[in-house]
This record gives sequence, structure tokens and C-alpha cells, in this order.
Amino acid sequence: MNFEIDAAIQGPLAALRERGRDEARPIGLEADRLGRPIPVDDPYFAKLVARGEGRTRWRGPDGERKARSKPKSTGSRPSRRTVKTLLFVEELAYWDRGVVVANPGVGLPEANVIAMGTDEQKERFLGPFLTPDRPRWACFAMTEPGAGSDAAAIQTAAQKDGDHWILNGAKCFIGNATRSDWILAQATVDPSQGRDAQRAFFIEQGTPGLGGFRIEKKMGLKAYESTSFTLQDCRIPDANLLGGEARYEKRDGFKGAMKAFNAGRPIVAANAVGIGRAALDEALAFAREHDRLADARVRDRLERAARKLKVARLLCLKAGWLADQEKSNIIEASMSKLVAAQVGQEATSLGMELLGTVGARGDHLIEKLYRDVKALDMVEGTGQIQRIIMARKLVGLPR
Amino acid sequence: MFDFEFGEDLELIAETAKSFATDALLPKLREHESARAVDATVRASYAEMGLAGLELPESLGGADLGALARVLVNEELAAGDAGAALALDPLGPALYPLLEIGGEDAVREFALPLLETDAARAIFVDAADAELEVGTTISGSVPWVPSDRVDLLVLLRDDEAIVVRDGIEIQELRGSGMRAAGASELTLTGAPIAARFEGRAEAARARARARLYVASLLVGVLRQAADFSREYAIEREAFGRPIAHHQGLTFLIVDMLAAVDGARVLLHEAAWRLECAAAGEPAAAMAFAEAIETSTFVGPNAVQILGGHGFMQDYPVEKYMREARALGLSIGGLDAAREDAWTALADAGSHVQLSHLEVAP
Ligand SMILES: Cc1cc2nc3c(=O)[nH]c(=O)nc-3n(C[C@H](O)[C@H](O)[C@H](O)COP(=O)(O)OP(=O)(O)OC[C@H]3O[C@@H](n4cnc5c(N)ncnc54)[C@H](O)[C@@H]3O)c2cc1C
Repeated sequence: MNFEIDAAIQGPLAALRERGRDEARPIGLEADRLGRPIPVDDPYFAKLVARGEGRTRWRGPDGERKARSKPKSTGSRPSRRTVKTLLFVEELAYWDRGVVVANPGVGLPEANVIAMGTDEQKERFLGPFLTPDRPRWACFAMTEPGAGSDAAAIQTAAQKDGDHWILNGAKCFIGNATRSDWILAQATVDPSQGRDAQRAFFIEQGTPGLGGFRIEKKMGLKAYESTSFTLQDCRIPDANLLGGEARYEKRDGFKGAMKAFNAGRPIVAANAVGIGRAALDEALAFAREHDRLADARVRDRLERAARKLKVARLLCLKAGWLADQEKSNIIEASMSKLVAAQVGQEATSLGMELLGTVGARGDHLIEKLYRDVKALDMVEGTGQIQRIIMARKLVGLPR
Repeated sequence: MFDFEFGEDLELIAETAKSFATDALLPKLREHESARAVDATVRASYAEMGLAGLELPESLGGADLGALARVLVNEELAAGDAGAALALDPLGPALYPLLEIGGEDAVREFALPLLETDAARAIFVDAADAELEVGTTISGSVPWVPSDRVDLLVLLRDDEAIVVRDGIEIQELRGSGMRAAGASELTLTGAPIAARFEGRAEAARARARARLYVASLLVGVLRQAADFSREYAIEREAFGRPIAHHQGLTFLIVDMLAAVDGARVLLHEAAWRLECAAAGEPAAAMAFAEAIETSTFVGPNAVQILGGHGFMQDYPVEKYMREARALGLSIGGLDAAREDAWTALADAGSHVQLSHLEVAP
């Protein structure tokens, strides 16, 4: 048993802290004040790319071949990739979660493309992200106006037409959609067949029929765009069907899509902890400045917020640690997201309470965090959906 | 770096405690409760496991295992019966002030003899839980201790431990929970002080260990309560399906299990911290506070899930509800734990690092 964050991680964490403070926080505050996403041509993005950020973790065709031929060493130390990622994500979110999502990179669809894509697809769609020449984005489009939580009920239709597919439908709230090189969109070949009929398609930016973009006005997380769009007789070549048709004979198109969400849950949890922690620090500083700490009611509430954030953080790291051990973590991943989104929300709300009417002015960091954190109880499965996922395992809840 | 596994040795000990709890304690839960004692055969098989010297230093013939071993064992035993867990441990948290403040000599003099006496009990009392006047002798009362006999009383104050052997009057009480260990009020009238050990930092450490001791019993009870009601809810049907599949209960059950897991991981982290790292004291206070808060949610709801049946003593959940509440009242309870956890937070300047509760550079 060990809960130490060792020096090999402390170093990079300290670097992230500095960048978060000097770059992400001010840019996030500005985007929030202006009420618009960070522009595509903002020098900040170019700077990140020049610094080597925004790259895919896919290792390229050569890297992958090497990895395949290398025999899996037995008895080697287990990976700690997930735990490390979670700690970094938490630190980034502490400074600005919206800016993190706005940052260039493959983002949400990356895990799926690596797991399910054909070699040719990885080269075509991830290749440009190996050493990107400019800021590049990609996105994953599942949610529709009529189907969010009930992802098996999506209606975007894919109809076979020779060696092409014709897509028709609408997607909403898709992060970074207008600036993405391609959109990995989930569609169905037969809406009456539910999850088994789902397929994922790469839709390249500029494809005729992809349009009607509308950047939504959001309560928070304004630094990145959440965009709704339509697909009207959008012709997509066979080669853009994720994994190729053979893949779907096993009926795992839906499963594949859900996999991305499963892996993402502890990450969302870490984000919520980071935001909550920022709110707690600000609240503590404010209470200290205004001589409120002699009040036991104030102390008790701060203590509780700190304790709950610690619980959430440990649950989140446990879920990540299980993933690193290649053990099942479905319950733990959902649990961490459920708990973290709640306690992150509570910490920001407590912060507002301690600010008093200063919070009502609308120009305090805590007020922004209070708006930002709510989305984490929605994205990648609401708190209610996390409970349902857990209940399938814990009380045999039928699908 | 992070490792949520306990390691083979600790897991083996936990497994042993678990099978004992399942085979010997759980089936006799009501019997032990009404007898106000654990029966002799169960006591004998407990003795065979050799858990009595779990935390004693090797030089005193113990296994010298630390806080992690203790919380794992307590959690398993309490999942069987928290009252029996207390009854079976002759030293209990009374060991900590002796060991931390008094050192090995104090343990040798006061604690070891009890290990040779059948059913002996050393009783830990935190000054916050008693009304005692300390002078050259000690007088006053302790409203409740979970025992019908007191071979040794160890009083923990903020800067010292006081040992009392004689002059303790014992008045049996019904007790709200843990009756298998007994329940009494103690009255001291000019009781002689057998020994006095001073040290503020050591006293804080002793209190932290005592908090982990009780918190781990609590977590064991809560885990069992949540699991029992979960299993019941899968079996019991209403309106044509298992009650667990009505979303009002589905969500409640999931939330209870998440709350227990949260309290549990905090407990383990605190035990690790106390044993292997820094800032164990506030972490233990936090873990205790979390276990207590969780008990107020999980205890009553475990009963609720069984409906009217939960209220009846044919099922154990009413016992869990009582005991979860009673366990959280000692060592100053929730308020004192929160105040101690807070102190570390207040010292942390403006940037709270949750892992350490320390200021970042
Ligand atoms: C900031 C932001 C960014 C997003 N980015 C993306 C993105 O990049 N790509 C993408 O595909 N999607 C994205 N989404 C969409 C997000 O995944 C959905 O909003 C979410 O899954 C919920 O779906 P919904 O909004 O349709 O709500 P609904 O499904 O309509 O849910 C409404 C309410 O009903 C509850 N509910 C639903 N079903 C049940 C049930 N069975 N039992 C109990 N309660 C239930 C929900 O918990 C919720 O409280 C984003 C959303 C936000 C807010």
C-alpha cells in the first residue's frame, strides 16, 4: 500500500502548475469574460504545438510494428500511465478545465481509433497528429438532440450506397467540432435494432452535407466550443467506416463507442476534483482574508469540502490504478465520476456561500468555477447513468 | 507511487480474520449480544489465531504490525460483530497511550499481564468523553465504556496519559450497542493514579491510532450493513420485481456502497500515512469523521431497505444501525475529529494539497 506522489511525478506536476497559473488560468478567465471559445488562430495554440503538445499518443506505423514484435515481458512493473494522467489532469483542471478541452489534440476519439481503427485509418487520421504542423483537433459525436443518456437510441442514419455510406441526422454539444480535421460520428444502419446496428464514421471537415454548425452558448466552460450540426445526405466512403465492415459482424460497434466513455470516466472525475480543489483554495484564502476562520461553522464546512474532495480523489486514483493493473474497474470508474462531480459541485457552491454577495457580482473566480463544474455531472454519462452502470453489476439491474 | 494493494502478508491476516468473523462471530451475533460476552469456545479459537499481540513490538513478543494490519483486522471482525471484536481484544485502543507515550516499559508493566488473564479488558477513555477531575488522585465519571469489567483504565488527555487500576466503581448499563463487549458507567472517587506519562505529540499520535481503531470497526459495520441490505434487496420482490430494481432504491443502494468505499479508502490512506509517511494525525481525524458521517447515512438506510423487517431483531440491520451510531460517539466524536482535521487545513496556507494537506511551494 502506498499513496505517495513520488519525485518523478512531482516534477512534471510542478511544471504544469506553473503553466496553468501563467497561461491557462488567464486565458480561461478571458474567454469566460468575452463569452466565446478561444479562437482557432490564437497564438496560445500555436505556442503549445511548437512546444510539442497536441500530439497523438499513437506511436505511428513504425512504433506500432515495433511494439507488436516485442514480446510482452512478463514480471515487468505494471504501467502507471493512468494514475499519472489522472494526477496531471487534476492539476490542469485546477487552473482551467475549459482551456484543457480547447487545447489541440485528438481528444475523445483517440482511444477508440487506436483500439478499433485499421492500420490505414490510423495512418490517415492519427498520422497528422504525430508531429502536427499546426494546431489540429478531432472530436467524437454521439449525442443528438433526441438522445443523450440513451445512447442506444440515436437516430442518425447510415445507408449503404455502393462503396459509400449516406449519413443523415443531427448531432449536438460536440466539443471542438468546427475546428476538427475530422469528426468520428456514431450512426445507425437500422434505428429499430438499437445498439447492435451502430457504426462509427470518420467525417472529414468540408464533406458536402456536413453543416448547420451552431456554437452553443453555455453556462460555463466557455473556453472551448460545444457545437451542434447536421448531416444531410453526407456521402462517406467505405474506407471511413471505423474498423471496416468486418469489425461490425461481431456487433461491437456500440461497445467500441462506450469504451471511450468507460476509459474517460476517471478523467472526468479528476477534472471535477481539480475544479473543486481550486474553489476550496480560493474559499479558504477569502475566509482567511476576511477573518472568518474563527467561526466554527465556516471551519466545519471547509473541512468537510476538503475531506470529500480527498475521498473523490482517492476513488478516482483507485479506478486509474485498477486500469493500470489491467483489472476491471467498471464500478470504480463510475463511482469516482459520480462522487467527484457531486463533491466538486459542493465545493464550488460552498465557495460561493463564503463569498456572500461578492459571489453574486459575477466576477469572482469561484463564481466561474461554480458554473464550470456542473458540466462534469453531464458529460460522458450523467450521475444517474453512472448509478445505473454500477447497479448492473451490484444488484443485477437489467438493461 | 500509488499502490492500492495491501500485500500478501496483510491480505493473509485479513483473510484469517474474515473467515473467523464469518464462521464464528456472525452466526452467534444475537447470542453474544444477550449474553454480554463472547462464549468460551469462540474466545479460544480467537486466541489460536494469535491476533492479540498484533501491534505489540517484537521485543515484547508481538508481531509488530502497524496501523494497516489493525484496520484490516478490525474491519473484518466488525463485519462479523463489532461488539465481539471489542470483547476479544483485551488491550484495544488502551494500548496506544501506553505504547506511544509511556513506551515499552509501560506496556510491559501494565498491558502484558492482561494478556495472561482470561477475558481481561483494558479500557481506553478519551478525556473528551468523561467528566474527570485530575489531581493527585482522580475523581468523576465516565458515562459509558463498552465493557462490564475494567482491569485497567487508560485516560488520554491532550498532553498525557494517566493509568488507573483501582478505585473504579462499575455500574452496568443496557448499552445502545456492542453489548457483546458489555456496557458500563464508571465512577471514580479519589482513585489512585498508577502512572502518568507526558508528551503532547505522542498523545496526538495515540489519539490518531485510537481513532483509526474505532473508525475501522465502524467501516466494518457499515460495509456489512450495506452488503446485507443490497443482497436482501435483490431477493425481496415488490410490484413484480426485485425491490433493488426500483430506481429509488437502486440509487440509494449504489450511493450507500459508494459512501462505504469512500470511507474505506480514506481509512486505508490514513493508516498508511500513520505507519509510513507524514501527517498521519489529521488524516486519521479525517478518516474518523468520514466514517461517522457515512454511518449516519448507511446505518438508518440499511434498515429502511428492509422495511418493517429491518425494524425487527430477526435481521441484523437494526443492530448495525445502533452500533454504527454508538461507535461514532467516542473520542470526542465527529466535532473533535473535524476540529483536528481542520487544524492541518488551516496550517496549510493558501494552497491545499489534498494528498498531504501541505502547502505547495
Ligand atoms: C459541456 C458539454 C460537452 C459535451 N461534449 C460532448 C461531446 O464532445 N460529444 C458528445 O457526443 N456529447 C457531448 N456532450 C453531451 C453529453 O454527453 C450529454 O449531454 C449527456 O450524455 C446527457 O444527455 P442529454 O443531455 O441528452 O440528457 P438526457 O439524456 O435527456 O437526460 C436528462 C436527465 O434525465 C436523466 N436520465 C436519463 N435517463 C435516465 C434513467 N434511465 N434513469 C434516471 N435518470 C435518467 C439524466 O441523468 C438527466 O438528469 C456534452 C455535454 C456538455 C454539457
